[in-house]
Amino acid sequence: MSSSQGQAIFRDVPATVRKEANFGQRVYNSRFDYLYVAPALLVMLIVIAYPVYYTIDLSFFKTPASLSLANKTFTGLDNYVTVLTSAIFWKVTWQTIIWTVLSTLFSFLIGLGAALALHRAFIGRALLRGLLLIPWVVSAVAASYVWKWLYHSDFGVIGALLNQVGLADGPVNLIDNTTTSLYALIVVNVWKEFSFAMIMLMAGLQTVPESLLRAAQVDGASAWQRFWHVTVPQLQGVSTVTILLLVVQNFNSFIIPFIMTGGGPVGSTQIWITHIYELAFLRQNWGVGAAYAVLLFLIMMVLGYFYVRALTRGDDKRAGA
Amino acid sequence: MSNMDGRALRSEASSCRKIMGVSVALVTVASLMSTTVYGQTVDLSQWSPEYVKSIAGTKTFDTAADCGAVVPNDYAGNVSYWYTGPFEADPIISHEQDKAFWDAFHTAYPNIKTDVQSITYNELLDKFRTALLGNSAPMVIRLQILGGVEFAAKGYLNPITPEDYGFTAADFWPGALKSVTYDNTLYGLPTNNETMAFIWNAKVFADAGLDPEKAPATWDDVVAYSKQIKDKLGISGYGLVAKQNAGNTPFRFMPQLWAYGGGALDETAPNPTYAKVEINNEGSRAAVQAAYQMYAVDKSVPISALTNTQAENQAPFIAGQLGMMIAHPSEYAKMLDLASKATGSDKEVADAVVANMRYGLLPTGPDGKRAVVFGGSNIHVVKPEFVDGGAVDEQAVKALICMWDSPEWSTKLNWAGSNPGNINGFLTDAMKERLDTIKFLDVTTSMLPSGIPFPVLPESPEIMNIIVPDMLQNALTGNMTVDQATDDAAQKIESVIAGGGAGI
Amino acid sequence: MTTISERAVSRRNRVDWWRWAGRLFLVLVLGFTVMPMIWMIITSLKTGFAAMQYPPQWWPASPTLENYTRLLDPSGRIGQDFLHYFWNSLWVSTITTVLAVVVAVPAAYAFSRFRFPGRNFLFFAVLLRNMFPAVVFLVPLFILMKALGLVNTHGSLILTYLTFGLPLAIWLLKGFYDNIPIQLEQAARIDGATRFQAFIFVVMPLSTPGIIATSIYSFIGAWNEYIYAYTFLTKQSQMTLPVGIQRFFSENATDWPGLMAATFIMSVPVVVLFLVLQKYFVQALTEGAVKH
Repeated sequence: MSSSQGQAIFRDVPATVRKEANFGQRVYNSRFDYLYVAPALLVMLIVIAYPVYYTIDLSFFKTPASLSLANKTFTGLDNYVTVLTSAIFWKVTWQTIIWTVLSTLFSFLIGLGAALALHRAFIGRALLRGLLLIPWVVSAVAASYVWKWLYHSDFGVIGALLNQVGLADGPVNLIDNTTTSLYALIVVNVWKEFSFAMIMLMAGLQTVPESLLRAAQVDGASAWQRFWHVTVPQLQGVSTVTILLLVVQNFNSFIIPFIMTGGGPVGSTQIWITHIYELAFLRQNWGVGAAYAVLLFLIMMVLGYFYVRALTRGDDKRAGA
Repeated sequence: MSNMDGRALRSEASSCRKIMGVSVALVTVASLMSTTVYGQTVDLSQWSPEYVKSIAGTKTFDTAADCGAVVPNDYAGNVSYWYTGPFEADPIISHEQDKAFWDAFHTAYPNIKTDVQSITYNELLDKFRTALLGNSAPMVIRLQILGGVEFAAKGYLNPITPEDYGFTAADFWPGALKSVTYDNTLYGLPTNNETMAFIWNAKVFADAGLDPEKAPATWDDVVAYSKQIKDKLGISGYGLVAKQNAGNTPFRFMPQLWAYGGGALDETAPNPTYAKVEINNEGSRAAVQAAYQMYAVDKSVPISALTNTQAENQAPFIAGQLGMMIAHPSEYAKMLDLASKATGSDKEVADAVVANMRYGLLPTGPDGKRAVVFGGSNIHVVKPEFVDGGAVDEQAVKALICMWDSPEWSTKLNWAGSNPGNINGFLTDAMKERLDTIKFLDVTTSMLPSGIPFPVLPESPEIMNIIVPDMLQNALTGNMTVDQATDDAAQKIESVIAGGGAGI
Repeated sequence: MTTISERAVSRRNRVDWWRWAGRLFLVLVLGFTVMPMIWMIITSLKTGFAAMQYPPQWWPASPTLENYTRLLDPSGRIGQDFLHYFWNSLWVSTITTVLAVVVAVPAAYAFSRFRFPGRNFLFFAVLLRNMFPAVVFLVPLFILMKALGLVNTHGSLILTYLTFGLPLAIWLLKGFYDNIPIQLEQAARIDGATRFQAFIFVVMPLSTPGIIATSIYSFIGAWNEYIYAYTFLTKQSQMTLPVGIQRFFSENATDWPGLMAATFIMSVPVVVLFLVLQKYFVQALTEGAVKH
């Protein structure tokens, strides 16, 4: 059983220390442990604590274009009220939800399909896997420019291809209109991300016990049934983590919308992140931008809670056991 | 746009001071008051292509000596400076003149250390804002004409007295000085000014059945020509641009707006108050309607106009895929450069386009009103507390600005891209050489007197770069009708000026 | 009643059907993945105007390598700038990677093995970094870097990039350590090693795939990062590749083939690095990401 014997190995103090030590004593007893995590914590602290404080502080001030930031005026919760009652807020939120949900869903599904197809070894599998990983490795800036060029309404290759094949007649406008622009960008995002999902799920698939699958096969289960009843439950852990990682990443994804369309046309590709950037940097409305950012933090905290819970599941069982 | 009387221009320093007294109310830190008056000999009331040609090459200046009278040539110090210098895609001559300037500066002032950064046009404002917040700004910065007022309003810039640098107010265009004056105080000096011109491909015109040597006279003609080009040849006629937060868009759309009698505020009035919103008046609506006609109805402009900046019009133009567009005066040099880099079959196409390029005046509105944006850059001095290091070396700054804005260098440094902000630059040999080698320079400089600067308000960037393009995009995509789009823009402009935010 | 052999045959046919569907799917996905890269390469071989033709030339009429030679030629100004950016990126990415490993490995080990007060909270805090959008922090971080005297130095980037990779690195390595049986360390301790020595000499070598995976992830992240490099660096001499490539879009000209060539060159190192080391990455994810 775990107990003091196992844990004693990982303490530099005698194992005779009582378990009922109070908090202060426990901290003292573990003082060397903190050395291991100190560098990581220090870095995180510097880079996170001050900006978070600064942003929260700024969100309570009014910052007009004609005054420098040093002269900002305190305005309480006004900025939050402005944000929550503006029509643009709801439009941007809705677009962010569409963006996040669709990107995550398709990245995951395509990743899953690719992982399944690559599961069995065949000649050239490593090469194929490598090729499929290229979008994830290539920089988002590079990808944005390439796709912007592909989608170009007047000279883009996608339009030309569609014309060649006969599916379209004349220039094809995928990105310069308010209806399809967001979806066009989602395609780019999925292109960039699916291989990450693929590789996570490939790792997960390797842990599905062959014995279970064979047993199911002997029992007469079809391929689909084997997949649904054996593989899927086994993949649950990895899937949860992958989906969470994807959601967080998508919620915060800035480069693709910013570089490809700048949030346009007419704000149809504006998601939270690009909107915050526009408010703060382009319109110099720091106060409201900060209020938006704080709201974003709060949502992220909620997601974060589930994230960490999923990642540390079963930890206590494992440690020192 | 006020016209200077010939006599007033040739008067002594004392009269010049009187004129300055009107535009400058604040005096900066007392310093060397030695003034080098360049002996203003340019008569703005006679401005025309012929006049411009006649005065070129009539005077030479010894810049090192002239500036040596302001700041001694052996002065030792340091100066930090940010600007948008020449980049990869700029013509070779720009690179050469830039290098020549710094060589000349270091020869004239060997003991002044310079810390210079060249930042791209679209990034410079962002970086400057961020730097100010972190108190790490440069001592001197050259910003595009719309950029400086925001910082002046926020109290980041030092007021300037031209005499301190060896100039007088008469050395600069009145409109240029207007653009650098906030709250009756001068916050910078104009370095270069330009106005856009209209260029077209004569062969495209001819093939489409239009007179190849005549520019469209009015904006309504532009709409008609564009349609004709698209119908006959299948290529885009007019190079419309409507991207948000791209400096080009207002430079190309505002002339259209003004020509029809509209405006964002009352900037076209002789004495603007910048308090009255004009974006939804009849003229403005007509202008937006014309754009809508071209984009949505005739489909005679690039579909990618909504995400295009002017840069993306250039390549199609040189490839013969675009008929006409409003262009920066430097466009010709750019095209020459692009053509020279082309190889193989591309070279013929490119050379043909260059040979067929024509420059003309911008079209007028239905009433014959011609308007053009008064463009250019201004040079500013930052207050010490916001500068990296906390101090500004005033003498070094004076030396730099004196040389940068001298007649000789304000011409040479803006060889391909612009025109000297210092009007005396029009007298130099360099100007004569430019007139001889740059096609159409006489045309592009002839519109300088009719230039209108953007409203001189700190909210102007937001109005010009976000609200106006948004209005265009709303109308062009059919998201709103023309009337709704202009009313929406009017509301936003009003709330921005009132200190709130538009469309938060 | 079907015999066993007949059932086996029908099962095989069903499996084959799935297999073919899988193959088709792979082909489609491969096409989807690779098409943009191929078009990028084709465009980079064209001269300036050829790129502007519509309908586009499927293969350049006069293919040329001049876009590449211009970027890589050290005697030209463009080449010098580009190689300089390349070197800056290499430098920043490498240092970030090394430091990331040095910081993440002990922390992951501690979170895995030790039970100290605040452990869960601190683990949460470390992972939380992933939640925050980079953009929001630009200005306060800039002010912070100014206070630390790091503006316009690579130090500001390295410090920031460290935080990008740490959460995933720590999580990955923690998973690794979770799966290494503690009997090994117990044996080492019984033999007289201190806790630290047991860690360094016994456990860490076993997590090599995890360390390699962490390195790859950090390197790629730092190599491709754009927003912070854009904000923190104004001096051209300091710029990294993504920011440097932006400069190809100066105010008055768009050089698509040149941009594509630059993008390609920028992608080559990371793609090659990844292809070569991918098996470690997969192995690391397999062992580290999945709990047994």
